[in-house]
Amino acid sequence: MKTQWIDELGQRVPLSRQPQDLQTYGRDWTRVYVPRPSAVVFPRHADEVCEVLRFCSEHGIAVVPSGGRTGLSAGAVAAEGELVLSLERLRTLGEVDPFGLTLTTGAGVTNHEVHVHCEHLGLTWPVDLASKGSCQVGGNLATNAGGIRVLRYGHARHWVTGLQVALMDGTLLNLGNAVQKDNVGPDLRQLMIGSEGILGVITRATLRLALLPSDRQVLFLAVDGMETGLELLRHARIQGRFQLQAFEFMGRNCLEAVMKVGGSPSPFGPGELPPAAVLIEVEGRLDGELDRWLEQVMSQKLVQDGLVAKSSADLNRLWAYRDNITESLGRLGLMHKNDISVEVGRLAEFVHVLEKEVAPVFPGELYLFGHLGDGNLHINVMKPSAMDPEEFWDGCHVADVQLYELLHKLGGSVSAEHGIGLLKKSALGFSRGPAEVATMRAVKKALDPEGLLNPGKVFDLSTT
Amino acid sequence: MNIIACVRQTPDTETVIKINGAANGIELDGVKLVLGPYDEYAMEAAAQIKEKNGGEVTAITVGGEKAAETLRHCLAVGADKAVHVQDTGADDALAIATALANQIKKLPHDLIFVSNKGTDSDRGAVGPMLGELLGLPYVGLVTEIEIDGGAVTVSRDVEGGSKEKFKVTLPAVICAQKGVRGEPRYASLPAIMKAKKKPIETVAAEGDLASLRKVELEKLEYPPARPPGRMVPGESAADKAKELVRLLRSEAKVI
Repeated sequence: MKTQWIDELGQRVPLSRQPQDLQTYGRDWTRVYVPRPSAVVFPRHADEVCEVLRFCSEHGIAVVPSGGRTGLSAGAVAAEGELVLSLERLRTLGEVDPFGLTLTTGAGVTNHEVHVHCEHLGLTWPVDLASKGSCQVGGNLATNAGGIRVLRYGHARHWVTGLQVALMDGTLLNLGNAVQKDNVGPDLRQLMIGSEGILGVITRATLRLALLPSDRQVLFLAVDGMETGLELLRHARIQGRFQLQAFEFMGRNCLEAVMKVGGSPSPFGPGELPPAAVLIEVEGRLDGELDRWLEQVMSQKLVQDGLVAKSSADLNRLWAYRDNITESLGRLGLMHKNDISVEVGRLAEFVHVLEKEVAPVFPGELYLFGHLGDGNLHINVMKPSAMDPEEFWDGCHVADVQLYELLHKLGGSVSAEHGIGLLKKSALGFSRGPAEVATMRAVKKALDPEGLLNPGKVFDLSTT
Repeated sequence: MNIIACVRQTPDTETVIKINGAANGIELDGVKLVLGPYDEYAMEAAAQIKEKNGGEVTAITVGGEKAAETLRHCLAVGADKAVHVQDTGADDALAIATALANQIKKLPHDLIFVSNKGTDSDRGAVGPMLGELLGLPYVGLVTEIEIDGGAVTVSRDVEGGSKEKFKVTLPAVICAQKGVRGEPRYASLPAIMKAKKKPIETVAAEGDLASLRKVELEKLEYPPARPPGRMVPGESAADKAKELVRLLRSEAKVI
């Protein structure tokens, strides 16, 4: 029976059952679940996507939409025999509209390809992620991706004018186009963006473009901790007459990990590393404004040491200390990850309680880094080498509950950028109330009554 | 020890180069200008030798008004003072070497560092010319440098992984190869603040440098555009591979 539907579908759209493909397309960058899809389909255009969904609706087959599979919450994992619907062949990339500064692209075009496509016009899609070479526009929107430019530009949802979405019953919705102002009824585009593939499958998008930042200035400042980092942020926001592009934080042990794995020297030269560092990127010609600000914060003893990038080469080398943290930690050991946020102004309070009360409960050393300007911290915990992985995961899950309770108390988010997927499902209730989850469930039921589209992600359809 | 670091301001390496209307230079409007990447290594070597052996580093450059920013950077990464020979017309190796030599003769000097080349002109000619004009020994592309009192031993890589070792009497002109003393340091905040108080002496170039020009730049042009990539059509991977082999045989003729 199982083979029969796969064979039938395979006659209509390109399909693979190769074990290698099942492994590759059945999982994302989380390595927690074992991929077990029944097959992978590769529709070549939106009509084929609809055909696949209609077919699956009729036959009761569960479907997992799949982009570049760089997610960190297992939102694109197929571990229960689902059919993986890969959007990677939807690769039509249109011309940049020089009037409205928009670009229409298929869901399977990578983030980096979009950047390269409009770079020669001095334009960019300001959604910029470490995974940009692999992640795709469809996935960027399905997860409302964040990244290093959120402080300046906001999440992906701000940079879309039009969306084409296929529903589970095979209906194709064209939600807006390149028109900038279109205030007609509830905005279904925004409902679809960030819905992690549980409401519909994004097949095409019209993206808003921004001017490429010119004259990027980068500072890498030694600070004695989170509180000083926040004080610097406050100064930069109120007193700095410049546009912040990024304001990133990393603890000393993160910096040490990058230096160890990359074999790179301390950016601060010989001597002891500072307790923490912030990387600040500022845009524009500043005519001494940045210098004046630096003199102020130095005279107030907020900063004693720091570096200024004098060339693009410097800038890239300094950014590498931030960009390489996740990869370096991954190479040093098994990591448990949380991606949280609180109001920026309450971050110091959060970290204070975290370090005093929650950190001792985690079974390994904490590594803190992230987008300070957005109140977004990545909390990574490294498994002690002698500890059994099962014991480590169990210990982390116990500590997670305390972390989520703290976030709940502070009105923070259990998932700032990574979404919920499968991995953070148990945390959803700490950031969303029962009435809100019930409303989400009602929307899901209206669009996908059988619960066939990306089943089990974000929340379970039945409350029992 | 009196150390001189000869440096040059060049467009940032990530600049998108645009040729000017007369096709005899590049557009510099809006272009970020930085200390030449190879000059950074010369500057780093000068700073480290001073820090170990004592003495003073003077950074010197020939260039227009903006070149002072580059000297300010040098003052933040190890130079103690700087000399700015103001000239805008001398984009010529002999003219620059002459202007440098004229100034260096007036300064106490033991060790003079130049870099391998400017990333803009790619000439690599100023260093040997400077040695000649000053009547001093010159060693090119030095990868190691040892100082023992007044004697200096330098090494350079040659073909086949061998090294040439030279004993040089001071004063001498040394061309620093990339990495001779590790990666160049970043400009630190305290050093930038201190650099603001260090002196930059501005002098006019002696004589008409442009008249020394032996080489005239006739025309700049862009390299030919790269032909666009081609997608090999085909329904399956096997079809595509077959078509690719056919194209490599019949069109590219490489197999």
